[in-house]
Amino acid sequence: MIGNNQTKYTPSREAFFKRPHLSRRSFFQIGGAGLVGSWMALSPERAKACSIQTSSPVTMQNTAKNVIFILLAGAPSHVDTFDLKVLNGTTPAKFAPTVINGVNWPTGILPQLGQQLNNMVLVRSMQSHALVHSLGQTWTQIGRNPSAALGNIAPNIGSVCALELDKQRQPGQVFPAFLALNSASAVGNGYFPATYAPFRVVPSTSGISNTTNSLGQTQFNNLWSELHQIDDPLRLNSPLGQPVSDYDEFYTGANEMMYNSVVTKAFTYSSTDSVRYGNTSFGNACLVAKQVLASNQGTRFIQITLGSWDMHVDIYGTQNPKGNNLFTMCPQFDTGVGQMMTDLSASGLLEDTLIVMVGEFGRTVGPVTPALGRDHLLQQTVVFAGGGIKGGQVIGQTLPDGSNTAVFGWTPPGGQPQRYVRPEDVEATIYSAVGINWTTERCDDPLGRGFQYVPTTDPVQYGPINELWS
Amino acid sequence: MYRFIVAILLTAGILGAQDETAPQLPVSDPICSFFDSNMASRSRLLRTGGNAVKLSRETRAVAAQLAPPPGGGRTSGANNLSNSSNMIDQYLFTAMQSAGVQPADTTTDWEFVRRVYLDLTGRIPSPTAVLTFVNGTSATKRSDLVEQLLASTEYVDKWTMYFGDLYKNVSQNAQITTYPASVLAFYTYIKQSVATDKPYDQMAREIISATGPNSYDVTNGQMNFTVNGVVTGGPAQDIYDQQVANVADVFLGISHLNCLLCHNGQGHLTGLSLWGQQQTRYNAWGMAAFLSHTNTTSAAVSTTNSNRYWIVADTGTKNYQLNTLTGNRPARQPIGTVTTVPPTYILSGAQPAAGQNYRQALATMITGDPQFARATVNYFWAYFYGAGLVDPPDTFDPDRLDPDNPPAAATGYTLQPSNPRLLNALATQFIANKYDLKWLMRQIVNSQSYQLSAQYDGQWNDAWANLFARKNVRRLWAEELHDAITVSSQYVPTYTTMATYGPISYAMQFPEPLNTPDGANGHVDGWLNSFLRGNRDDQTRSQNGSILQALNLMNDSFVMTRTATGSPAGALLPGLIGQSNMALVNGLFLNVLSRYPTPTELSQALQDLSNPLTRNQQAQNLLWTLYNKVDFVFNY
Repeated sequence: MIGNNQTKYTPSREAFFKRPHLSRRSFFQIGGAGLVGSWMALSPERAKACSIQTSSPVTMQNTAKNVIFILLAGAPSHVDTFDLKVLNGTTPAKFAPTVINGVNWPTGILPQLGQQLNNMVLVRSMQSHALVHSLGQTWTQIGRNPSAALGNIAPNIGSVCALELDKQRQPGQVFPAFLALNSASAVGNGYFPATYAPFRVVPSTSGISNTTNSLGQTQFNNLWSELHQIDDPLRLNSPLGQPVSDYDEFYTGANEMMYNSVVTKAFTYSSTDSVRYGNTSFGNACLVAKQVLASNQGTRFIQITLGSWDMHVDIYGTQNPKGNNLFTMCPQFDTGVGQMMTDLSASGLLEDTLIVMVGEFGRTVGPVTPALGRDHLLQQTVVFAGGGIKGGQVIGQTLPDGSNTAVFGWTPPGGQPQRYVRPEDVEATIYSAVGINWTTERCDDPLGRGFQYVPTTDPVQYGPINELWS
Repeated sequence: MYRFIVAILLTAGILGAQDETAPQLPVSDPICSFFDSNMASRSRLLRTGGNAVKLSRETRAVAAQLAPPPGGGRTSGANNLSNSSNMIDQYLFTAMQSAGVQPADTTTDWEFVRRVYLDLTGRIPSPTAVLTFVNGTSATKRSDLVEQLLASTEYVDKWTMYFGDLYKNVSQNAQITTYPASVLAFYTYIKQSVATDKPYDQMAREIISATGPNSYDVTNGQMNFTVNGVVTGGPAQDIYDQQVANVADVFLGISHLNCLLCHNGQGHLTGLSLWGQQQTRYNAWGMAAFLSHTNTTSAAVSTTNSNRYWIVADTGTKNYQLNTLTGNRPARQPIGTVTTVPPTYILSGAQPAAGQNYRQALATMITGDPQFARATVNYFWAYFYGAGLVDPPDTFDPDRLDPDNPPAAATGYTLQPSNPRLLNALATQFIANKYDLKWLMRQIVNSQSYQLSAQYDGQWNDAWANLFARKNVRRLWAEELHDAITVSSQYVPTYTTMATYGPISYAMQFPEPLNTPDGANGHVDGWLNSFLRGNRDDQTRSQNGSILQALNLMNDSFVMTRTATGSPAGALLPGLIGQSNMALVNGLFLNVLSRYPTPTELSQALQDLSNPLTRNQQAQNLLWTLYNKVDFVFNY
């Protein structure tokens, strides 16, 4: 499993991922807040401020084990994809609109997803809060307003899932809990420990970079044992303090990922498979995501980012068919996700894996702009699939032109009046799906204000879209 | 030239130690011996000359400077309590004595020289610098070294980076994009301020009240601090709120103002901040009102250049309006008949004089407030000591700071700083010394308490952390690691970053964590990012470790090319490989770890090098090992 990379020296230590590897003190040193002060600050007065952390009794769906979160960065046009509004003279004929299970679907650009509609739920009553790309993308990934007091220390939804679901880690599982594929700019772990940061990988046929050494495995084994022979007096139970001992644990975790056939199998792929997934960077990410989940090595949340949806100009490629337009973007998206869903379904993993596909907002509707594109619009669609939800549904309905929600189609929490689905609701839905109490409030944030997984300080209360399951 | 000097010194370092076999060394507890015993013997070798090596003139010159006593030995920190006149020591050691806590020993010279180099300049010392310092005999050699470092250009680079982080000087955040030229303008302002020892109150006033266009005006970058407060998608009040929240955070250490800009403190800050729980949103609006005359707008550079730059201008005439229903914060609606809020300093109730520029008034009030001095000294304290006297350093509770007027027992609160009188004394003296940051750093790094060892003999209790009875280690910044590898490997890369900013070699000279050093997804960029330098937006610089860091230190080409003799970057080993094994080991340790090996380390290394057939590879292995040693990765 782990490779025979400890030939000369075998320290008897708990593997990195098998233990509560970071001390309580380390946990509180996050956010650049200093080494021990925050921990010391957990005084009675601080604890008192945290007395509201007791979670409300809520019913979690808890039907999914894993999450694949596909961020469609740049904001795809909803009326050309998930909420198709055929407009004579505008919608290209090649869209080949077809009614599938009662859903009008652009079969010409999203053929494979069309075949997966019975596994998918389209939520068409979503609106974003803002129309700025970077702001909206951050908002989508953290499920709260980046401008709020806790916005700049908030962890990615994936980091929250990683922290919570890592409690279920089994012995021998060596992968990080939160994997971010093709997501160099994914929001990070915020104030959470780096253990729960997105482990960023750009898939390649050679696997994860730096999990092999250029000198070869035999030489690396020598290096590893020589390092420990010479440095263990400072590494183990370090006289320099706990942070140094903790650092050695990261080395142990790194070593477990090196020359590990399980890692190789999950992160490398054949050209045949790559072609099947579309032979694109996004397709490779979908392929690796499938393989990583199949390996069952402790990864629970996978973010994949697919950008270039910001089509202000020439959205249908009438001027430049080879430019960035729906006909160039949709095939890679459709093939990647479609193949992934097919494979996950075949192996039974789709039932365990909630797939979320969402952009940071939608795009303008009706005829295209003078630039032949579509601009920014709050109205959008979020798509869920797998993970034990009841597929084949459409929740919510937009006006005939798609510019706004006509029917909300879901029941917000707490008997609130009907309203839009917001990024915070998507966040709560994800948490509920994997059995995380979305009303949890932590008391370890650097401000000491209490960090709520889903913010409750807004006038509205956010919660999961339970209709996905009914 | 540099390599030549190093080789000479290393030759000096092995005098009398030509035996290729591992010497019989006493088996000692590595935790307790650490470097001491070996240091002493090594210095003795240096002094006594030795037998078989022909001394060059330079070597003799260096050797002549070395005189007893050796620099190694530690002294007990407790023994130095009575004779320290340093203000910090008097407060800290008194507190330790009251608590019955024995401080750690004082650092050895070897520990001190590396620590203070990294803390003040972000660089590790050269072998020459290490040996010269350790073997120096002056009674004032530590404070002399501090002066030397404070006057160095590396000091300017390090603290320019520090303030770039604090002020979040970056070309893109979640809200807005500025342009590299704009970042460069602010970078230049900070660098010049640091280089000229600008009094910090002046620097704060300039930053808080700056006006003008940015981007293409390198003399006016400080206004980017205000530009960074721009919030999109809401009314102007959202911007005022964020701008004043940034001011309160950075210059007053009061991040709770941000909370108060959405809601009253009662309830939200109850149990957390005695001051905060009594504050209202109206009071916070009074602070935001200081920004209400400030318009922060952007414009295209020209009709032919669509790049946008930002303009900060105090052209407004209205106070803070209570007229919003939408935006990024809750509605701002009239309170009774009150529809506007005048600028009112939240800690004193002071208001601008008639006709006074609002932001200039705010800048004056803040820098005239003792809280400004407290917050500043506490930020620096947190950096040098690993935790603030108030920690986290931006969570000040103004009602829990005065040791002569502690919170009433009925409130349930106690004084907030771990040593309130020390914090006040340091702040008071900082003011008396005209907000001189170098004065502050001198006070700190020349103190006995800063110079305590990270190692603690005996059982350590985490509850003693706030007494600062031992050094808190810190993992090196990403830039420090990069530069430590650069300095020690003697291979100096060249990076081209942004237009109008010349090529550089040291990561500490990057104006921002974006656009460096080889493109957004470049190799070295990714390496640096893995060490959590942050993005000056939603990811703060962090000392956390990670698996990725370990992979990048063990296997990345940035390290592997430096340890390989066959690559141009492998510049260190060729100069040492021809030496004896002892000299080779000593040379590698001194270059990379700024010290000589302990007996155990030396024994192990010599054993690994003993087979001539594998010696070359083992030398590379040893260098690799040193780059992966925890005492390379940490400042201890």
